[in-house]
Amino acid sequence: MALIDAQALPDASRIEADLIIVGGGLAGITIARQFLGTSVRIAVLEAGGRDIDMDAQEFYVGSATVRAPGNPDRELNNYPVQSRTRVLGGSGMVWGGKCVPLDPSDFAERPWIPHSGWPITRQDLQPYYDRACDLLEIPHFPPNAPPAGPAIDVGPDFFSAPRVFTRYSGGTDEDAFDRFRTEFASAPNVDVYLHANVTRIGLNAAGDRVETLDIACLNGRRHSTAAKSYILATGGIENVRLLLASNDRAPAGVGNGHDLVGRFFQAHVVYAVDGNAETEGSAIQLSPGQPTALYINLKRGGPQSVFAATLEGQKRLNSGNFTCTLYANAGPPAPGGVAEETAAIGALAATLDGKAGQGRGPLVGCFLMAEHFPNPDSRITLRPEKDALGLPHIHMDWTYSAADLDGLEHAVDGLADALGARGKGRLCWPGERSALVAIGNASRHHMGATRMHPDPKRGVVDADSKVHGLANLHIAGSSVFPTSGIANPTLTLLALAIRLADHLKPQLGATR
Amino acid sequence: MIARRDLIVFLSALSAGAASAAMPVLAAEPSLLTGLDKTAGGRIGQAWLKENPGATAAALTRRLAPKGWSPATLERLRLKVADDFRQGRVFRHRGWRLADTEGALFGLLALTA
Repeated sequence: MALIDAQALPDASRIEADLIIVGGGLAGITIARQFLGTSVRIAVLEAGGRDIDMDAQEFYVGSATVRAPGNPDRELNNYPVQSRTRVLGGSGMVWGGKCVPLDPSDFAERPWIPHSGWPITRQDLQPYYDRACDLLEIPHFPPNAPPAGPAIDVGPDFFSAPRVFTRYSGGTDEDAFDRFRTEFASAPNVDVYLHANVTRIGLNAAGDRVETLDIACLNGRRHSTAAKSYILATGGIENVRLLLASNDRAPAGVGNGHDLVGRFFQAHVVYAVDGNAETEGSAIQLSPGQPTALYINLKRGGPQSVFAATLEGQKRLNSGNFTCTLYANAGPPAPGGVAEETAAIGALAATLDGKAGQGRGPLVGCFLMAEHFPNPDSRITLRPEKDALGLPHIHMDWTYSAADLDGLEHAVDGLADALGARGKGRLCWPGERSALVAIGNASRHHMGATRMHPDPKRGVVDADSKVHGLANLHIAGSSVFPTSGIANPTLTLLALAIRLADHLKPQLGATR
Repeated sequence: MIARRDLIVFLSALSAGAASAAMPVLAAEPSLLTGLDKTAGGRIGQAWLKENPGATAAALTRRLAPKGWSPATLERLRLKVADDFRQGRVFRHRGWRLADTEGALFGLLALTA
């Protein structure tokens, strides 16, 4: 019915609904929207307010260390605060709006990647991807669709994977996103509570159902809940924190009977090297006549494609998913230094690959992304320090294995070979293996730490996103991803959210 | 042994197309020479030669143009380059992944400069 400030409720209020969604970010809002106009009473509990404020952000304080073999550890202690937003709309408030489905290969069990494979396929998820696209008012992504324009054919190991931007993000169209995150709250069957910090998931005596949630407000008021069903949708880090911290009935935390909550954390990192007079930057010297409009698209509303590894390519190269994104260089390389050598390389490549009179092709910048393989040692844990409401801070051991580094290198070499063998261009990747942790630019994608698997010994949630062993608790968001691919996770987490809502509707007796 | 001038003319011809390739020695230095900057191309060639010690101009000429420098050589080199990439015969220079054949061309340029 409205946006309600939980701080204004009488102390010890009990919030009752059929379905309570913890977290008013993109996943939580999307699920709530699926129930608009139904008989199901929805309550959304959002820890933040309508606007981003630093008092709320303070509750995200934690620490993070990135590790990879042969690389110095890198402390990223600001990451837990800077990579998410505690506000109605969640990290959608700062999202750039890039929409990408996971590739069919991302769902496949790939024997060369331990712990890979989803219990659902891209085909299973396709109808929900379509509905997520409709929600965001973007074109659908039919699998194996031809590129949206002339593409560079580099053979079977790579394809041109599309990306599209929605206006429904705080980083793109603030007004449109403001409507997206608030208008649903005016539905008669929806209540959205702001400043409602959930501090504990309370289980029944048998430990197999959520009985209540503890809610704490910064003004000291405390509330509780009663609902048939609960969905945890607080983000890829906070979902873990709340499960682990709720350890009064289950000492290891809720849903953590097999020590899986927090493990398999995966992230996306952009690898690029900036050039200067002495060092070449990461780049592709395209051969003459190659179409670039599909890849270097400065209009955020239009499609953009990247080179992405196919399943066949990943298998042949012994890599995971991998993308190479092109961008226009700021300008011609500065005279002197390495620029003349680059020009010589471009000139020879043009001669060998081009037709008479075409001249050199464009020199474009590129950045690389490689799939972070599922790894039980890459994990989120709780620190001894606690926030003002008594919830422990988190620590992230963001860990790569040698296989991750091998996969990146194999894919880079594979793309370079594919470009060269087909006369499409030459690739320059000057990044050193021992510097990958240092040069990696971390995205705000938090995935995998409450992973989906039908076997409770191998996953926190089942294929319907229900927490194993708990009858009425589901998890929404990218924390359920078993593997992370390269795709920006928002579209996939929205598709999963819609799927989850469909799954719950009959259980909750939803009628129009 | 190939003279540097012949190599330049050949590379120029490749750059200008088959019709030009049939022309006799160009009077002026060809455009590709600018593209293949003597100093810069030579530096790449020296780097390749460092990884391939003992390579001589004569040996490289036999490898790159066993039937002499002609327009047909370009097609042969294109196939060699493609095959190098397929077989992983890659010369890395400052991050650039080049076909070994390309490295050898730069090496020949360095030896004949």
